[in-house]
Amino acid sequence: MTPPQTIAQQLAAKQREISVAEFFERNRQILGFDNLQRALLTTVKEGVDNSVDACEEASILPDVLVEISKESEDRIGVAVTDNGPGILRKEIPNVFARLLYGSRFHSNRQARGQQGIGISAAVLYANLTTARPARITSKVEEEEAAHVLELVIDTQKNLPKVVSEGLDLWDRPHGTRVELVLKARYTRGRQSPLDYLRGTAIVNPHARIVLVEPDGTRVTFERASTDLPPASKETLPHPYGLELGELGYLLKGTKRATLAEFLAKDLQGVSQRAVKDVLTRGSFRANEPPASIQGERQERLLTALHEVPLVAPSPDCLSPIGSMLIKRGLRNVLGELKPEFFAPPVSRPPKVRGGFPFMVEVGLVYGGGLPPDQPVQILRFANRVPLLFQQGACAITNAISNLDWRRYGLDQKGGSGVPSGPALILVHVASTKIPFTSEAKEAIAEDPEIDKELTLALQAAARHLRTHLSRRSRRDFANEKFTIIRRILPKLAEKTSHLVGKPSPDLTAVITRIMDVVNVETQVIAEPKAVRVPVEVTNFTPRARVLELFVEIPPDVMALAAFEPAPEGTEPELGRAWWTLPKLAPNGRTKLEVAFPAKSDVDASDFDWYIAGIDEAHVLGADPLPGDWDVRLPRTIVEAAEMAAQEAAQEGAGEEEVDYDAAEASAHVSDEE
Amino acid sequence: MPPKRARTSATKSDADLPKVRADALAPTLELAEQIYDQLDRGEIPRMRLPLRTKQNLSFQMREGVWRLGKAMGTRSARKLDGALMLLRTFYLVDFINEMARDRKTSTLRELYYISEAWEDAKFHSEDESNLLIEDLEVMCTRLREDFRLHPEENGASVIGDLTIKERNRQGIVKKINCKDDVGDGGYSLPFNVEKEKIEFVGSNAKFVIAIECGGMVDRLAENRFDEEHDAILVHLKGQPARSTRRFLKRLTEELQLPVVVFTDGDPWSFRIYASVAYGAIKTAHLSNYLATPSAEFLGVTASDIENYELPSDQLSEQDVRALQAELTDPRFGTAEWRSEIELMLKNGKKAEQQSLAKYGLNYVTEHYLPEKLTEMEIL
Repeated sequence: MTPPQTIAQQLAAKQREISVAEFFERNRQILGFDNLQRALLTTVKEGVDNSVDACEEASILPDVLVEISKESEDRIGVAVTDNGPGILRKEIPNVFARLLYGSRFHSNRQARGQQGIGISAAVLYANLTTARPARITSKVEEEEAAHVLELVIDTQKNLPKVVSEGLDLWDRPHGTRVELVLKARYTRGRQSPLDYLRGTAIVNPHARIVLVEPDGTRVTFERASTDLPPASKETLPHPYGLELGELGYLLKGTKRATLAEFLAKDLQGVSQRAVKDVLTRGSFRANEPPASIQGERQERLLTALHEVPLVAPSPDCLSPIGSMLIKRGLRNVLGELKPEFFAPPVSRPPKVRGGFPFMVEVGLVYGGGLPPDQPVQILRFANRVPLLFQQGACAITNAISNLDWRRYGLDQKGGSGVPSGPALILVHVASTKIPFTSEAKEAIAEDPEIDKELTLALQAAARHLRTHLSRRSRRDFANEKFTIIRRILPKLAEKTSHLVGKPSPDLTAVITRIMDVVNVETQVIAEPKAVRVPVEVTNFTPRARVLELFVEIPPDVMALAAFEPAPEGTEPELGRAWWTLPKLAPNGRTKLEVAFPAKSDVDASDFDWYIAGIDEAHVLGADPLPGDWDVRLPRTIVEAAEMAAQEAAQEGAGEEEVDYDAAEASAHVSDEE
Repeated sequence: MPPKRARTSATKSDADLPKVRADALAPTLELAEQIYDQLDRGEIPRMRLPLRTKQNLSFQMREGVWRLGKAMGTRSARKLDGALMLLRTFYLVDFINEMARDRKTSTLRELYYISEAWEDAKFHSEDESNLLIEDLEVMCTRLREDFRLHPEENGASVIGDLTIKERNRQGIVKKINCKDDVGDGGYSLPFNVEKEKIEFVGSNAKFVIAIECGGMVDRLAENRFDEEHDAILVHLKGQPARSTRRFLKRLTEELQLPVVVFTDGDPWSFRIYASVAYGAIKTAHLSNYLATPSAEFLGVTASDIENYELPSDQLSEQDVRALQAELTDPRFGTAEWRSEIELMLKNGKKAEQQSLAKYGLNYVTEHYLPEKLTEMEIL
């Protein structure tokens, strides 16, 4: 099967026949310039993408300044300045004033501006709408001054034309500044430059981005991380993702002398055995010069390549954001909303679709200042670029809509559609080739492989949310009980005993009946040299309990940790320790402590505490022991656990009367208006 | 606090009326005893109360009123809300007993502010405190006045040939005729209208007309309707206060005067009539004491709006909901009420009683009321 040509290629083919101006007019929409608001956004987006990509290629932490000014209501000036490596003088005209020119067009790696149509389209749009040239300032480190060029595009020939040129002593070692004046409209809010830059800042926490708005307002997204994302490696094209046009281009441009050599060395995943298979299948000779394969024979070669078994494409060329940075980026930008929960971000392992590796990452934030009764905010990213338009047509939105979020604690009418609640979902799809619904690259097209990964990643994030919410509701429940036993019950006893003139009664039994839980309370006390984690286990149940407590901590911390008292048993390589607690009478408590040297990257509140010997419905602050802990429990604990299970089964047998103070029952009907 | 009431006269339904006793506070202490014993036995403290809901009203054939049924709920310290209400109950009981010791009384509003000092147990709204007092009335079969709690003076006015004796704050008994001895505002009802406070001396009136709006009371007074037709006018002031309802009941029972209720023609006015005649849901535990089952609804009825071509308004959404709720309200379960409510729903119209002024200021007294009262065989 021959994959269809990309739209870019079709456009490129057409472009030879018509002037670029005409081409632009015809394709305004897919190029992202169909209305004034969008024209500005697309221009900012192309400028910023270029800048961040350039910085990353040169391993520079990006520092991007976006300045927007208003010449008149619909005439907007845009200047994007970066600290990138700069562009050589001779490359400047082609990079900025020639459509479909760019080193990335045939590169097999993940980059933001994937098809190279970007910044020169913005230059052309500016030329066409305001007749003003683009002004480019660029300085490379080796040179002393910056080149300043004013460029327009010759719309007949699709060639850059330098209108004026000069030098400037720029006060920075290297960088590029692009200035355009275009017909556009400036807005804030949804689908605005600010919205776009916020998204960019979230997924690029290593970048510092500053926006200066027309009224002088300066919005700064500070850098949240000084780690550059690992540079995505350029890899050889894999035949599974190869299209006919590209294959022709590769055959023509290769330096290999023979077809066999080309197959083995210029393509990815083709073994010696596969080379032989391809040659036989397509009736090619091993020593044919690659450039001699043309026309119908190219098609035959591609078919053969698609038929023989090949090594799967390597995911090295992907550049995921990574769990750590998703978390940091979200915290950095959303911190002021004080969300109550940042789900551990989910990074799915890379998968392959067609010949192209891809991977899905999901972050989820809940609560705080996020609006509680609106559809959740969805932040979509493709190769680290925010997608702002066509949310409804995007595979990401569909995957979210198709999940039944009610099971995970969000509202969703009928169990499908975008859920509502105080949540924000970030989804990043990284791939060397993302199937967009259109060349405007605003929505990801439906694809069964991508959809499967999206669903798995979303489910994983949603499970974290569910765990959080159920812990929260147990915590609320516990707080309610503690309020009753600590604040209300003693006063009730005091009041009634005063009224009847008798001594205050002993409340132990009532307290344990009301609470009916074993409470495991852990604290984290950070001291200069050590972190102490005292644990208090209280038996707020009406009977004596024999319990076993377990903790799981990072094994490297375990090696340095001190336990008081000494644990009953440990498995240092797994970071596990456990204690058989002394028998606890009703209202009885016991304490233990874990301490380890202060270490910046260990969050002791993340330690997992487990308990055995009691039904989970009667425990606060610890989870039941997971099945994969192959620990031999003492007989007393096993027996206690069995008894607890029996008790739990008997509970709720005698249903109670209507709760007089429950909302429904206390809705006393009144005759008043 | 008025002196202890020692009621001797008894009507038929008096048997299970809440008795006013010198030991009014004993039942509150019994409640405290109950909870104390539960705590002492290690049980989760709880109380059982009849549910005060529409679904739990049951008709008392003998008295002709709606009272609370048998459905019970539990107020338990197992839940925070229940625990708080229990604690509040005993702050309230303690306060009541303190007042008795100090010979003080308190208005409901004052109680609400008193609770500021109750920390966790303080009331968040006056509704909350009123509901708790009603709970206490139910559990102790006492009136809130027994607990030394009373509403602010309501001042509903009475105009007509009725002579009463009222014992004023100085304890002096004054004889008052509600036509001759009062100003244009009429005689103002105190919150306590029991015998030891107000005694009926005599009346030449033939019936009592209870009126929703002050404007209509004034109209009837100005037109001398009370004199011309030997009527006693009682202003209901919207949903009538307990004292107004108690007063109407006493007029009926002691002076054998028929009571007619004259209100606006809308769903809320139907409820005003229902609480006069059948008892209000909130105070269903006191229906025997407050309701006047023989009271009749005069109007404005849904058919009056049509027959008299009264200026009307469209029913609002809330009005429609209120009417629909009334269709499931056992108090409106009669065929007459059902057809009246359904007619109003069908026509979609409501009218104020003062809309009768469309035909001039005298129309209500010269035409409408005489016609309706003749129809009801009162004139």
